[in-house]
Amino acid sequence: MAQPHKSFLEWLGEHLFSCPFKTHFGIDCPGCGLQRSILALFRGDLAASFKFYPATIPLIFIVLFTIVHLKFDFKFGAQLIKIVFAGVAVIILINYIYKIYTHQLI
Amino acid sequence: MSEEQENPQENRPIDLSKGQQPEPAPFQPLDQGPATPPPFQQPPPFQQPPPFGQFGGGGFGQQNLPNATAALVLGILAIPACCFYGIFGLIFGVIAWILGAGDMKKYQLNPGLYTESSYKNAKAGKICGMIATILSALFIVMVILVIVGAISNPQMFDDFIKGMK
Repeated sequence: MAQPHKSFLEWLGEHLFSCPFKTHFGIDCPGCGLQRSILALFRGDLAASFKFYPATIPLIFIVLFTIVHLKFDFKFGAQLIKIVFAGVAVIILINYIYKIYTHQLI
Repeated sequence: MSEEQENPQENRPIDLSKGQQPEPAPFQPLDQGPATPPPFQQPPPFQQPPPFGQFGGGGFGQQNLPNATAALVLGILAIPACCFYGIFGLIFGVIAWILGAGDMKKYQLNPGLYTESSYKNAKAGKICGMIATILSALFIVMVILVIVGAISNPQMFDDFIKGMK
């Protein structure tokens, strides 16, 4: 059972959606790396996931937490979502600016 | 009338005390007179806040705001959706912003009718939508700059790309 699962991940890695911005202009968009990062997360490689796209882990956390929150209605839920969301936005911005300065856009 | 309607917006603990007021009411008619106190407490008919509703149960007379969940979900999906030139991120973000703001207005007009948890959700959705809209707008501005640069001066754009490598 383990081998087909592995090959499925590999197949997924070869069939990612390609970023239209990158295919036309050759420059990464602020969302580039998200799919590779999620794949790395599936493989269990947290460090690689963070390197590809630092905002993935909080982003996945916030999506899962929102589903749970809508189901069970935590008192602090909306507040936490707001804070984490703002954090995600800041991480994305910083990541993109860092990419520009370190010439990793291509 | 108007003062009593404005109070619950500012501090909600009043809702609790209002919910407890009807309890002494049944005792007074037994001692003094039958029907005099209830007519004074009935005038604010818009506030039917059963104290249970504050726990977000929904279904105790208070209902959830209609678009709170949609606003929250759209606001959060707006960031992953920004990949396609930022257009979907902008659309999702603006929709979440509008839905959230509309629901917040609805709640403030009639605080007793809706659950407070859904109000918080709508507020969170509005803020998430705002953040996502700003991010997407930044990205779109950058895209437009790059497109304009590439069209107006292709040679320089190629050199710029080579210089980045």
